[in-house]
Amino acid sequence: MTLPKGFGSGGGGAGSADVEKMIGRRVENMTGMITASFIAAWLATFGGTAAGYFVYPWAYPTPSGHYAFIVLTIVEAIGYLFCVKVMEEGTRKNSNGIVGGVLGGVTIGTIAIVMFVGH
Amino acid sequence: MAQMPALLPKEVEIQRLKKIWLVVIAMGSTAASVEVDNFVDGSLHQTSIRDSAFTPAHWWLYSHFVALPLGWGFVAIYDRKVPVLRGPNNSMNTGLKMTVLGYLATMFTIGVNEMWHFWFVEEIFAVPNHWMFNMGVVVAFMGALAYVVRVYARLVELGAETPGENPYVAEMYKMALEGKLYSRSIP
Repeated sequence: MTLPKGFGSGGGGAGSADVEKMIGRRVENMTGMITASFIAAWLATFGGTAAGYFVYPWAYPTPSGHYAFIVLTIVEAIGYLFCVKVMEEGTRKNSNGIVGGVLGGVTIGTIAIVMFVGH
Repeated sequence: MAQMPALLPKEVEIQRLKKIWLVVIAMGSTAASVEVDNFVDGSLHQTSIRDSAFTPAHWWLYSHFVALPLGWGFVAIYDRKVPVLRGPNNSMNTGLKMTVLGYLATMFTIGVNEMWHFWFVEEIFAVPNHWMFNMGVVVAFMGALAYVVRVYARLVELGAETPGENPYVAEMYKMALEGKLYSRSIP
């Protein structure tokens, strides 16, 4: 096997140390980063829609902003779920608890925002 | 099917393909969210005919025109670590080339659009300066789809994903792996 420059010891193929070095951080260990990104995206979505109905209320009635916020939350949640599932398929890692907790929290947060913000 | 020579360990290749896949999912979510923005923007233009670039609907629309090319640019750079995804003569993957060209056309049209609206204020969907926006995005999506199919087909070949049961889908994966998704003569 031909290895890129800097890998291997000259003869023979890749050892497990070479493989680890070539992989970098494994995708199944990226749950924290992806969860943080999802929450940041969700908060940014709230910020964007809130800017709409607070700054431009004649163009964006609050119900429209909330509708967009709900639909986008669903879109983002599906993306988040797919990311974690793709990362962990074929491994023994399991983050169902984290994903369930985050999605549950985001659901409650979305309902609370829609009920109490912007009225 | 010609067997690709193993240029890097299978485990490494799967991890790299999955990293590309994660970026693709994130960009897919972004693109789906902009579908919502089409309605938000449309509702805004019911009340103001030609507004500024700095309304919330436009933050969203224009920032996605920045986010997706950046994402594909990242993929194009990272893609060099996966030899099977290279295009003809070790150039960039053909699907990625189409994607980058499509978004370049879209970016160019942002300038054209501003120039047009300097004289013609009304924001009508079918005006010529909007054509290249839409055509650029369509070309970008076509290229992206071909690239994504190729990544997925390679993940299937490496045993990291389940093969398609539908024979037409299986044939599409096979052609993607042979670099013949567009035609049998142009890789």
